[in-house]
Amino acid sequence: MPASVSRPPFPTGLRLLNWLLGGWTAVVFVFLYVPIAVLVVYSFNQSRLNVIWTGFTLDWYRRVWEHRPLLRAAQNSLVIAAVSTALSVALGTVGAWLLYRYRYRAARGIQTLVAVPMVMPEILMGISLLIFFATLGMGLGFTTVIIGHVTFCFPFVLVAVQARLKGLDPALEEAALDLGATPLRAFWLVIVPCLRPAIVAGGLMAFTLSLDELIVTFFTTSAASATLPIRVFGMAKVGLNPMLNALSAIFILATVAFVLCSDRLRRASR
Amino acid sequence: MSPTTLKTRPPALVAAPPEENRRRPRLLAWLLLAPMLLWLAAFVVIPTAILAVYSFCERDEVGRVVYRFTLENYRRVFEPVYLHIFWRSIVYAALTTAICVVVGYPVAYFIARAREAWRHKLLLLVMIPFWTSFLIRTYAWITILKQEGLLNGLLQSLPLGIGPLDLLYTPTAVVIGLVYAYLPFMILPIYGSAEKLENAVIEAAYDLGAGPVRAFSSVIVPLTMPGIAAGTLLVFVPAIGMFAITDLMGGAKVPMIGNVIQNQFLQARDWPFGAALGVVFMLMFAVTYWIVQRRGAQMG
Amino acid sequence: MKPSRFLLAAGLLLGTAAALSAKEELNLFAWSEYVPQKVLDGFKQETGIEVNYETYASNEELLSKLLAGGAAYDLVQPSDYAAEVMIKQGLLAPLDPALLPNRKNLGAQFRHLPHDPDDRYTVPYMTGTVGIVVNTDVVKDPIRGFRDVFQPKFKDRIVVLNDNREIVTWALYTRGISANAISKENLEQIRPVVADWIKLIKVFDSDSPKTALLNGDVDLGVVWSGEAAILWRENRKFKYVLAEEGAHQFIDVLAIPVAAKHKEAAHKFINYILRPEVSKLISDEFPYTNPNVEARKLLSPEQLANPASYPSEGKLETFHDIGKLAADIDRLMTDLKSGR
Repeated sequence: MPASVSRPPFPTGLRLLNWLLGGWTAVVFVFLYVPIAVLVVYSFNQSRLNVIWTGFTLDWYRRVWEHRPLLRAAQNSLVIAAVSTALSVALGTVGAWLLYRYRYRAARGIQTLVAVPMVMPEILMGISLLIFFATLGMGLGFTTVIIGHVTFCFPFVLVAVQARLKGLDPALEEAALDLGATPLRAFWLVIVPCLRPAIVAGGLMAFTLSLDELIVTFFTTSAASATLPIRVFGMAKVGLNPMLNALSAIFILATVAFVLCSDRLRRASR
Repeated sequence: MSPTTLKTRPPALVAAPPEENRRRPRLLAWLLLAPMLLWLAAFVVIPTAILAVYSFCERDEVGRVVYRFTLENYRRVFEPVYLHIFWRSIVYAALTTAICVVVGYPVAYFIARAREAWRHKLLLLVMIPFWTSFLIRTYAWITILKQEGLLNGLLQSLPLGIGPLDLLYTPTAVVIGLVYAYLPFMILPIYGSAEKLENAVIEAAYDLGAGPVRAFSSVIVPLTMPGIAAGTLLVFVPAIGMFAITDLMGGAKVPMIGNVIQNQFLQARDWPFGAALGVVFMLMFAVTYWIVQRRGAQMG
Repeated sequence: MKPSRFLLAAGLLLGTAAALSAKEELNLFAWSEYVPQKVLDGFKQETGIEVNYETYASNEELLSKLLAGGAAYDLVQPSDYAAEVMIKQGLLAPLDPALLPNRKNLGAQFRHLPHDPDDRYTVPYMTGTVGIVVNTDVVKDPIRGFRDVFQPKFKDRIVVLNDNREIVTWALYTRGISANAISKENLEQIRPVVADWIKLIKVFDSDSPKTALLNGDVDLGVVWSGEAAILWRENRKFKYVLAEEGAHQFIDVLAIPVAAKHKEAAHKFINYILRPEVSKLISDEFPYTNPNVEARKLLSPEQLANPASYPSEGKLETFHDIGKLAADIDRLMTDLKSGR
């Protein structure tokens, strides 16, 4: 019989574990952000070639705002990523739920098919999608790019949500149904909130993948829908312009600031 | 007895949903799944079929695909040099995945147990570095790791006697680059499955006399296994086909299977052979995944 | 329908129709960082034609996208051998000489080139070479050719292009074989040469080999002349040498695909580019070799002095398409790279 009172004191071992975990997380964050710090510092580099530090300047920040094609490409990337993420989350979450809920006979086949876009080399996906679109007579542009992005992003959402479903309490849906909810309302009001962490995780992955996608986009894009990676990749030939660093730095600083200040905004709106 | 509410029975007592709970699909269930199935059919099955057709064709002098049936491409795929390259890609991917699990799991766990307000913030902060341009990020790493780079500069300023490290364009730099790129895809799924899940369980474990290490290894890790499995899938599978990072950080000295397939469509202009390589590659994955799923279901 | 609404709808329709017909556009599919924005803006200002500039990073990407896709471009910018492939496949439309009077500005050595002997389909845009860059601060030996570069004492101090055909060509040159005389026997002959070279190379990079040279990670490189010119502009210590055994000259051309919808606009653009003052703008941004002799007269002495942009004479050869043998080259290089 363990020597414990009805409400045991917090064991010191657990506190130590928490501290260790926190310290390790800090180290990993340093690892993640060191190249970003370097990138931001080099956005002030005088040399156009972005390789050797020659001096300090704010010139590139000014030039970014004047460079229309680059800004347009950045805008395209964000729009495409946002739409692709929304569609991927919808497709992935609903797909994961249905596969969990019902015993489809072809379940294993469907599951494998879902995972295929993750393994398919990007050039194969790009060229085969292009051939498919061309055969259908479909013009290239935002739609075709988004289709390509959603195809390889939604498996990530689906897998992430499935992982959480495996630990889900089946009594939850039963309880909701017993209380008179339709299956749809039970799904939307009870299950989805429980799945939220995995949906958020999946959505973040999908967004990130879409922002950085190059090869599939190349084969499915038109001039109007060209994304930032395509522009950036071409610039490597003449030296990656510090303008790109400036653009990235602006975006990073904006999002980090938003993240850190977001509860002040939330508190203000309450 | 440790306090448990009616709603949160310890999930350890609940495995995958009991089979009676999972209903046999009626028409409605199939209809609801139809959008996803149609999407897969149109944008995965048909493109793969196109590739499969190409893989049985020949190419002519000018590089066009000629619709004459041949098995030559598949014969070539199984030559030792390509099998060796497949294997090398798998090894790098496996190593990357293993390191990501070890490095990323504690982070995911920490974030999952952090205060509510901080959870989403930390998650976003994990992802934000990857919203910069891939090339710029990788060039930043090159600036850090190169001979006269920041890392060596730091090491030499410290009186530790560690000479300048020749890291760039070596397998070490490649692994650093790969782990960097894939870490978030391990952290996020583990977080997704581990969040908010264990408080009652951990308390139960401690009540029953387990120390922190045992609580961790016997209770927490098994519960977060689905997350780890998901992270492994989401890192290992894409990593096999990755070659951009190995090229940039490793000097493109050693070909990965991604390089070889890409080359067939670009430099060699031998689309049928590239398609055959791709089909075999995807088939190997599909078969392995199929078997793994069956074993997973058997182990229940 | 109320009269006001009807008028509004009609107005919108007419307006759109007018806008669509007035706004002519040109779909340009070209190398990225090869057509300066100033040139596109100037063209639009003069003719009112909007240029949609889509980009690729290699000839093979151009060919793949065209062959797979049916994307309708009005103007493309292949290199010589890619243009040759496209001509053989009937993908290019013949040019109308009457619409290209400025063609006379091109130097005589850039006419009747091997890939298009009658100058029917293509107009040279910019040219360059592949040669040797030496960091003369570190390497004091005289470097005259590939044999001087690939010596054991330079192990792990060399960067080369990640282009299988290029590397094979250099090896062929050291055996006195022409770049286009590729055969299975010749490839076997140079196999040991390349195998030795690979052991000495530190980095393969076709996108930005100058990075490794600037970083000091390597001291020698076999790179595009454009890269070498940029290096020379950064620091005069980077000298450019055309290998004495032989050098590859590439010529990037402008051509109009058969399926183009705006052929007249495309002709206008080509003629516009051939103007000396416009061509000079291109040279200002990108230090490649300008085939437009009238434009060269407008360049600054410093630009003309860049040895990578305007090298002294050398044994130059352009590439022909080698058809199926490209696959053999790829196989050879995959074998050798994998074998280390």
